[in-house]
Amino acid sequence: MNQLILAVLILMLGAGLCLLPIRNATRTGIGLVSQAVATLVAWSVVIPVLLGAPDITGEMPWAYPIGDLHFRLDALGAFFLSWSLPMTFLGGVYAVGYMDKYFSTPRHLGVHFALLNMISVSFLLVYTGEHTVTFLFGWEIAALAAWLLVIWDYPNEKVRFAGFNYLVSTHIGLIFLVAAVMILYTRTHSWFLDDFGDWMSHNPGTLRNTVFLLLVTSFGLKSAFFPFHSWLPRAHAAAPAHVSALMSGVIHKAGLYALVRFILLLGKPDEWMGWFLIVFSVISALVGGLYTVGQRDLKRLLGYSSTENVGIAGIGFGIGCLGLTWDSPGLVALGFGGGLLHVLNHAFFKCQLFYAAGCVYQVKHVVDLERLGGLFKLMPITALCFVVGGIAISALPPFNGFASEFMIYSGLFTGESIGVWAKLTLGLVAAALAFVGAVSALSITRAFGVIFLGNSRDSSLPEGREASRWMLVPMGIHAVGTIVLGVVPVLGLAMVAGPTALLMRAMPNGVATVNLQSTMETLTRIGLISGALVLSIGLVIWWRLKSPKTPQPMLNATWGCGYGAPTPRMQYTGASFSTDFAAHFKNIMVLIKRKKAPAGYFPDDSYVITDCVDSVERRLYSVISHGDETATDLSRKMQEDDPRLAFSAGLAALVVIAALVLLAEGVLP
Amino acid sequence: MNIGLALIHWAIVLSMPILLVGLVNRTKSWWVGRKGPRLFQSAYDLWRLLGKRPVVSTTASPLFRAGAYVVLICGLLAASMIPLLGQFAPLQFSHDFVVVAYTLGLARIILMISAMDVGSSFEGMGAAREASFATFAEPALFLLIGTASAATGMTSFADLIGHLHNTPHYAIIVAPLTIALLILLQAEAARIPVDDPMTHLELTMIHEVMILDHSGPELAAMQYAAALKMTLYAGLIAALINPFNPLADPVGGVLVSLALMLTVAVVVGCIESLSARLPMRWVPAYLLIASVAALGSMLVIGLGANGV
Repeated sequence: MNQLILAVLILMLGAGLCLLPIRNATRTGIGLVSQAVATLVAWSVVIPVLLGAPDITGEMPWAYPIGDLHFRLDALGAFFLSWSLPMTFLGGVYAVGYMDKYFSTPRHLGVHFALLNMISVSFLLVYTGEHTVTFLFGWEIAALAAWLLVIWDYPNEKVRFAGFNYLVSTHIGLIFLVAAVMILYTRTHSWFLDDFGDWMSHNPGTLRNTVFLLLVTSFGLKSAFFPFHSWLPRAHAAAPAHVSALMSGVIHKAGLYALVRFILLLGKPDEWMGWFLIVFSVISALVGGLYTVGQRDLKRLLGYSSTENVGIAGIGFGIGCLGLTWDSPGLVALGFGGGLLHVLNHAFFKCQLFYAAGCVYQVKHVVDLERLGGLFKLMPITALCFVVGGIAISALPPFNGFASEFMIYSGLFTGESIGVWAKLTLGLVAAALAFVGAVSALSITRAFGVIFLGNSRDSSLPEGREASRWMLVPMGIHAVGTIVLGVVPVLGLAMVAGPTALLMRAMPNGVATVNLQSTMETLTRIGLISGALVLSIGLVIWWRLKSPKTPQPMLNATWGCGYGAPTPRMQYTGASFSTDFAAHFKNIMVLIKRKKAPAGYFPDDSYVITDCVDSVERRLYSVISHGDETATDLSRKMQEDDPRLAFSAGLAALVVIAALVLLAEGVLP
Repeated sequence: MNIGLALIHWAIVLSMPILLVGLVNRTKSWWVGRKGPRLFQSAYDLWRLLGKRPVVSTTASPLFRAGAYVVLICGLLAASMIPLLGQFAPLQFSHDFVVVAYTLGLARIILMISAMDVGSSFEGMGAAREASFATFAEPALFLLIGTASAATGMTSFADLIGHLHNTPHYAIIVAPLTIALLILLQAEAARIPVDDPMTHLELTMIHEVMILDHSGPELAAMQYAAALKMTLYAGLIAALINPFNPLADPVGGVLVSLALMLTVAVVVGCIESLSARLPMRWVPAYLLIASVAALGSMLVIGLGANGV
């Protein structure tokens, strides 16, 4: 425990110190060094716990209203800490390159790095907090620090708006969380999570169900599940690339951590909870996936794909819940193991993709698909990292996304003896997941093809070149992680084995080991296949393309039909790539087209702009600004001075209040 | 491990792409009253392409040439897990069907990236169509597997297909599942009514337009990979219908499987001769038929378990 306290102190000290020096380089240096040292110090206890050492607990006396603070580092917290801390550090390293142009300006970079330190502090508090107050405190530090990081470019009004939007959404989430905590506190008169767990596992019923729904809403807002995602694409588009990467890949994983922690405390969940989680997550994955198709801003696209990927992880957790309900250890291992592995894998490839987007922004100053093109030749490392991340995010072999989705599919097509209808429903979920995978392949091909392949579309943009090493190295490390976890998925499974076994602690001894062992064997096979795939592709490509004996190809222009283009703007665009597909889903994806048609014999100015707007957000703002039309219509029909209406409304209100009082008897204190 | 069957499996996987394409072309020629090309014509074509020096677009990135080989390797890897002969595949483990579907998915994404690589609008259009139709085809395959999984309780592809023959409702679900697989074959292998391999207008193509800029050995790899995909789906249909278990009765199993695969090629050829390509906007609806057929068989399994 002392190491963790030391890590927190180092981080806070670093945060304080990096505000003091005069030069931006010194401030940055202090921030990064304190992050690195704190990460190593924390790792010295986190890694042993993750690999099976006993939990570490600590107590700290505190003043009256809060009481003693309890901390406990178990395998679940250790799993999240083990990658969150170093990835935040890598984000800081990337920031050095990304913020390059600010080093010689009066902007105070120390604040930025201090905030990154505070993000790491919040991880340490949330992932070890056993006391509700420290948990909520860490939760709030993360929210505020992320908000301040998002609005780095605050003179821009759009950025301020995106930040404000995020701030409001995250606090709405907090309200739900606090409501759940209040309910639990009135029942247990305790602040400790394990007391909450004790009470919940012995008292299934309406109140536990309410708490479940409140918490899923809150964690859904934190992790941007549909329909609580509308803050996310805006925030991701507005923030600096490394902040988007950290928010999407690392910070908002706290919502999923809290979900699993809560399921762990819950004891045996009811069956509806598992199905509810699955349906909620499937919808999130479907809608998030569909929205990636229409975006023209690369960072918005990646933001929506976060909604999709938390949905995929959520499907895993849902299967795990069903496994807990049905006492089926195989399902628990595959569901929670697959879900947690997907969380880890997503952190790797999503940060990598955002870093690639940041590299593009750094040299081109835009991330608009329709203005880019042909970047592969100018920035091959970024392009390769993007394509590796893209294949991984579409869950295709041989990279890591496939390993975790394979586990989730194995859970969906389980060989365990469960009811036929349950099996068929899970088959439907698998079909939805397959659809999501294909959609994600579509949108990543579109993004990669339009940005990196073909020719440059806009000659007014600056010439492209590879970004600085400060940015390439963190991206490269993530890419290596993506590849290694794909070819040796057993490594990832070894990391999630601890937390998964924790979820099976109620089951008889040895069950966890047996089931994790069989999963391990399957994943070894997947790793072998991925390895064979990589190896054979490498060999054949060397033999056909690189070997000195093979004749070199002739170079010529692209096949003339449809290409002898007078302008590179005539290449296939992102909008044209998605329009056929999007037409089938126009009720979900709202495509807004603004155009000025060419007129007259010698038309001079004409344009067409297609934008995919978020229907949830559109609806939200339309209700906030204009009110709801149905409600307006209804109120228009009502005569204000009609006494019958007033009386009946009063009566209805009385009945509702009476019902609440009667129903709450014995439910609420 | 059954080495003899594995050898036969590989012999079929490697030779059938040539033979099936030849047979489809012969069938189409027969319908229009021509003699048609030789059965092994595509082997000669591939051989000729292998000897040629490729021409590569100046726009293309280094991924372009590599792509063709990745597509071919993915096809071969998937072939090692597909139970062409019935209840047998050389590489068989639990949930291998996920690997099959996603390896083919990797082939597809690489094919689309190669198409986008040369910057041509037509090839981008082909890639967009391929991507969009794949989203409708993929769920159908998983629904089909979900049906088999619920009916048999097995987890590997070969066991799923093999044990399906012993389930009580096999007679009812075999027809819809075969139809679903046939539609998937037409979509994945770029056959009429989804795509027309013989068309000469870029606007109407899907698969052919994506490989417009490939030439020489790379074109050979792409074409062989496409034919291989047709073989895989034809083999799945054969395995679904084939009443023999190749593990118990290898001779009967292999012969019937071969005959069924050739029949599938003839059927595909007949459909191509007797119908035209669908308008592009109808293709998703056509692909949905596969999903609906698979859903129907799911319903049969579910109701059957309830004793209806």
